[in-house]
Amino acid sequence: MHLDYRLSENWDSDPVFLLAADETEFRYYAFAGDIILRKAQTDLSTHWGWVPLVDFAIGLRDIAASIEAGIAAARTFEFTESDATLEFERLGAEITVRSSYAPGKIVLPSTEFRKQALDFGRRLDMELLSRLPELRQNAAYQALKLSGLSD
Amino acid sequence: MSRIRVGSPIPALSWAAWIALIAIFGSVGNAGAQDAANVVDRSQVVISERAIHHIMVRHWPDSPAAGAGKYAPGMTADLLRQMVDETVENGRSRENTNGRPGRIYEYDFGHPIGIKVNGRPAYRLRVVVNDRNELVTAFPF
Repeated sequence: MHLDYRLSENWDSDPVFLLAADETEFRYYAFAGDIILRKAQTDLSTHWGWVPLVDFAIGLRDIAASIEAGIAAARTFEFTESDATLEFERLGAEITVRSSYAPGKIVLPSTEFRKQALDFGRRLDMELLSRLPELRQNAAYQALKLSGLSD
Repeated sequence: MSRIRVGSPIPALSWAAWIALIAIFGSVGNAGAQDAANVVDRSQVVISERAIHHIMVRHWPDSPAAGAGKYAPGMTADLLRQMVDETVENGRSRENTNGRPGRIYEYDFGHPIGIKVNGRPAYRLRVVVNDRNELVTAFPF
């Protein structure tokens, strides 16, 4: 599975806003973009430009953790600005991913899914901190622990 | 006249009466709500200019944002406030998902309020408020 992201060109880079942003603002307003999610002929990527990437990273990480731990056999990710969803279902040692907005499904080992979910958050965290070192001063952003939580 | 003392068992008939009263008055209190959650804070939501701007960029009739429901032409900030208030007052309520702070309210207006992502009429509004009862986003679906 190829899991990646693309930051929108018009994401809100106002340092004043980002320095003071709280959790909700990071999860709805900041760092909008698209997710890239595909395998072979199946493409569940978004092409909307408004997906809050920090929120997606946190949601995906939590879904992977709960499925891996056996807390849930299936989880739904609801996008923030529409009724679109991603469905994650564990069947044995594999995870099946489906969406409400594109045909097809992606099947991959649950261990790989978890690894990719964590890696997504780490890469995003590194890029955001590289672009905006001031984020290190925002306690709400730091509390989200995009790199390393749930390990 | 019989009296019920504190600590004394209440006769079975009285329990039945109490259950009936709770059923009657409990339902009256939620007559307009589309869910049974009566512990939800349905006080008026705080709506900031930032929230309105966020909604306009993504969901206003002339917004070019893809993959997001749009309000019907003629939408105004005042009308948005009214629709948000109506949704929070009367809509179904649930905790926000994926660990996001706050609550989600959804209300079926019974008539089209915009268009869905697929271009069909949207009858429902989803409102997200944070844990300080401030509007985060609101869109037709």
